[in-house]
Amino acid sequence: MPEPVVIQCREVSFLYPNGVQAIHNISLSIYRGDYIAFVGQNGSGKTTLVKHFNGLLKPSTGSVTVFGEETRDKKVSYLSRKVGYVFQNPDDMLFSSNVADEIAYGPRMLKVDPELVEAKVESILQELDLKNLRDTHPFALSLGDRQRLAVACALSLDPEVFVFDEPTTGQDFFGSQSIMGLIDELHQKGKTVIIITHDMPIVAEHAQRVIVMNKGEIALEGSPQEVFSQVEKLQSLSLKAPQVTLLARALGESSRTILHIPEMVDWLQARFPVTIKSGEELPHV
Amino acid sequence: MDISLSFHLKDKKMPPLIEFQHVTYAYSKASIPAIKDISFSVEKGEFIALIGPSGAGKSTLCYCFNGSIPQLFGGTMSGNLQVAGCDPFQDGTPVLAQHVGLVVQNARTQLFNVSVIQEVGFGCENLGLPREEILKRVSGALEFVGLTGFEDREPGALSGGQQQRLAIACVLAMNPEILVLDEPTSELDPIGGEQVMEVIARLNRELGKTIILVTHDMDFVAKYADRVLLLCDGSLFMNDVPQKIFSNFELLKNARIRPPQVCEIMHDLKENGYHLPDFPITLEGTLQVLKEMQYA
Amino acid sequence: MFSVSLKSRNSPLQKLDGRTKLIFLAVIFILVLLFTDLLYITALLALVLAAWFIAKLPTQPLKEMLQFFVWIAVIILVVQVFFYPGTTNLVHISKPVPAIGFSGYLTLEGILFGLAMVLRLVVIMIVAPLMVMTTPLPELMLALVKLKIPYKFAFIMTTALSLLPSIQNRSAIIQQAQLCRGISYDSGGKFITKLKASVSLLIPLILGAFRDSQTLEVAMNSRAFGAPIKRTFLLESRFTPVDILVIAGTFTLLTVGVMLRIRGFGVY
Repeated sequence: MPEPVVIQCREVSFLYPNGVQAIHNISLSIYRGDYIAFVGQNGSGKTTLVKHFNGLLKPSTGSVTVFGEETRDKKVSYLSRKVGYVFQNPDDMLFSSNVADEIAYGPRMLKVDPELVEAKVESILQELDLKNLRDTHPFALSLGDRQRLAVACALSLDPEVFVFDEPTTGQDFFGSQSIMGLIDELHQKGKTVIIITHDMPIVAEHAQRVIVMNKGEIALEGSPQEVFSQVEKLQSLSLKAPQVTLLARALGESSRTILHIPEMVDWLQARFPVTIKSGEELPHV
Repeated sequence: MDISLSFHLKDKKMPPLIEFQHVTYAYSKASIPAIKDISFSVEKGEFIALIGPSGAGKSTLCYCFNGSIPQLFGGTMSGNLQVAGCDPFQDGTPVLAQHVGLVVQNARTQLFNVSVIQEVGFGCENLGLPREEILKRVSGALEFVGLTGFEDREPGALSGGQQQRLAIACVLAMNPEILVLDEPTSELDPIGGEQVMEVIARLNRELGKTIILVTHDMDFVAKYADRVLLLCDGSLFMNDVPQKIFSNFELLKNARIRPPQVCEIMHDLKENGYHLPDFPITLEGTLQVLKEMQYA
Repeated sequence: MFSVSLKSRNSPLQKLDGRTKLIFLAVIFILVLLFTDLLYITALLALVLAAWFIAKLPTQPLKEMLQFFVWIAVIILVVQVFFYPGTTNLVHISKPVPAIGFSGYLTLEGILFGLAMVLRLVVIMIVAPLMVMTTPLPELMLALVKLKIPYKFAFIMTTALSLLPSIQNRSAIIQQAQLCRGISYDSGGKFITKLKASVSLLIPLILGAFRDSQTLEVAMNSRAFGAPIKRTFLLESRFTPVDILVIAGTFTLLTVGVMLRIRGFGVY
C-alpha cells in the first residue's frame, strides 16, 4: 500500500508579475517519506515549483494542497509548521544574538507555549550537535555551522516535510557531507525530504526519487537508476550522470545503472582477470 | 653572436612569474594567521588549481596576488613576495591590476555598473587609456568570453554563468598576464560552470595567461590544472601535479578533499591488489588504463 | 522605479545632456525655495509636470509618490493653517493660544501658505526622480564630473543608486526566508511584533550589504579604481543646440525669478 500523499500539485502554472511563465501545467504527488531531488538548469523552474509547497508562491492556475489543505488562502507562517523550507544562504535569515535565541525565534513568533519552546530548543541543540555553541553569536559560526543552524530553525517548527534549496552549494566536501548527513537523518526519522541540487553524485548517493525539470516542465522522473540510465536524454538537458555511472556505461554495462563506487569496484573486479593483480606474472602480448 | 647571446640568456635563470617566500599574514584583530609560511613559485603560462577545505586561506591567498592584502585589509604580513616583477607590499593596486586580474568570489557583488559595456570598460577608464583603445579592448574581451551583443544589457539581469564570464571580461580588458579566479563556478548550474571553465582554459591555452583557480570541483582540477596547491589550515600542504595529489589518499583524507570518483575507484582497485600501469584522474584516462589492463 | 532610466530613450528629455538636466534641477530647487506665493509655486509645479509628460515617463510612480506623501502633506497643511500668522480671518475655531502663536481663527493666508508649502515639497519630490529616470546613471556621473564634482564622490553617488535594485532583490529573498520561519510581515498584530519582524529583515540586509561592500572594494581596486591618472570616460557628452537653448531658458528663468524676488514679488 502506497504512503499517503503529503503534497499534491494539480495542473500548476505560475506566471511572474513580469509575465514570465516559470512553470507550466505541472501535476505531481509527493508521498510521505519521499526523498526527492529536483535537478535541472537554472531557470528550469525548480525553485519556483518548490516555493509552492509552503505557500511562498501561489499558483496562477491549478492548485496545490498540503496535507489536504489548499495553499491558496493560507499564510506562509501557517504552512511553515507543515513544510519547512531552508534557503541556500543561511546569512539571509540569521539575525539573533545567540544560537539558542535564533532557534527559538520562529516558535516564539507563532506564540508556542514558552516551556515547550525551551524544551524544543534544547532537544534541537542536542540533535544537531550545536549544544556547545548555544550562546555563540550566529555570525561567529563557520559556514557549515551556520547552515546547521538554518536547519535547526526549520526544525523548531516541527514540520513533516523539509525543502532544502541547494544545501551544498558553496560548501567544501566536509561541509557537504555534514549537511547531507543531517538531511539523511531527517529522512530516516520518517520526514519527507525534498532537495534542489546541481550535484549529481549527491543525487545518486542520497535521493530515492529524481525529478528533472526543463523549461518549466517535468522532463524526466524516476528512481536515480531510472533517470541516470538515460544518458542521452540527460545530455540533451545539459546534465551529466555521475562519473561512476558514465564509466560503467562506457565499459559496456547496459543492463543496469551503477551509481555507487563500491558497486563499480565489485563490477570491475568481476570483469578483470586476476592475472593482472600485482605480484603476478603479466602475460606478454 | 646571436647564438651566444641566446645561449647566455638561457643559462641565466629567469625569475619565476610569481614567487612567495615564507609569506605569513594575519587579518587585523585576528589572533592566528590566515596563511602561514607559504612558499611557492609559478612559471609563466601555468594553470594552477588552488584547493583546500573552507577556511583554509584560499581567498586570503588570492587577495595577496594583487596587493589587496595588505594594502586594503591592513593586518600584519611577513615574508617576501613578487608578482610579475611587482611588489604587492609597495606597488599600488592600480599598478598591480595591469598584471593581475582578480575575479573575486560571487560575481554579482563585483558588477556595479549599469551596462555591460560600462562594466568591462571600467578598468581601462580608470587607467586613462584612450577611448578608441578602450572600445577595442572591450569588444575583444566580450568576444573572448562569448558575450558579444550584450553591450547594452544590464549586468544584474544576466544569468549566473554570464555574470561570471562578464567578470572575467572585466579584468581581461586590462590585459593582465595573470588571472586569479576565486570559485568562479561554485554557484553555477552544470552548463554555466562548464562554459566558464572553457573560457578559463582558453585564456590559458590561446592567450598564454597564467591561471590561479580556486575551486571545490575536483573534476575540473583533474581536467584542467597543470599543478595543484593544496592549502589546509593556512599552510601549504602540498604543491604537485594533480595525479600525485589525487592518488595520495592519506593526504586527501587529512585535507578533507574528495578526489574525482574515478580516483576513488582506482584507489580501491589498488587496495585490492591490482597493479595499475598508471593512476588516471579523468574518465578518459581511466578508460585508457582499463583498456591497457584488459589487453595487457 | 529607477530601472525606467535604461529603457525608452526616445523622449526629448532623454536626449538632453546630463549637465543641462542637472542645471535645470538646481534652478528649480533654488526657485522653489525662493518663493512662498502659491501662484509662483504652482507655476513651477506646472513646469515640472510638463517636463514629466514631455519625457513620456509613466504616471504610475507619480501616483505612488503622491499616495505616500498624502499624510505628510496633511500634517504640513494643518500645522501651517493653524500657526501661520494670517490677517484675513475666515472661521473662528477656539480661544487664541498666544504661546504657540495661534490666533483662534483659520486665516486665508494660513491656508494659502500651507498649500504652498505642500506644493513646494511636491515639486522637489518630482524633480529629482525626473532627473534620475531620464538620465542613465553613467551619464549622470559624467555630468557630475564635468560640473567639477570629484569623480570618487560622483561614483559613490551613482553606484549607490545603481545598487538599489539588487538591494530590493535581496530584501525580497530575506523576507521569504523569514516567512518560512513563521515570521509574518503583514499581520495586524502589536507594534512590538511588527518591530521584531522588521529587525529580522534589516539585520541580514545590513550585514549582507556590509559584506558585499568589502567585496566591492576589492573588486573595484582590482580594476584600478582610484589610479592616480586622469580618467577616461567611455561616454562622451556634447551639448546640442537644444541643450544650449534649454540652458539659456533655464538661466533666464532664474534671472527673472531672482529679480522678482528682489523686488518683493512672490512672497507673503
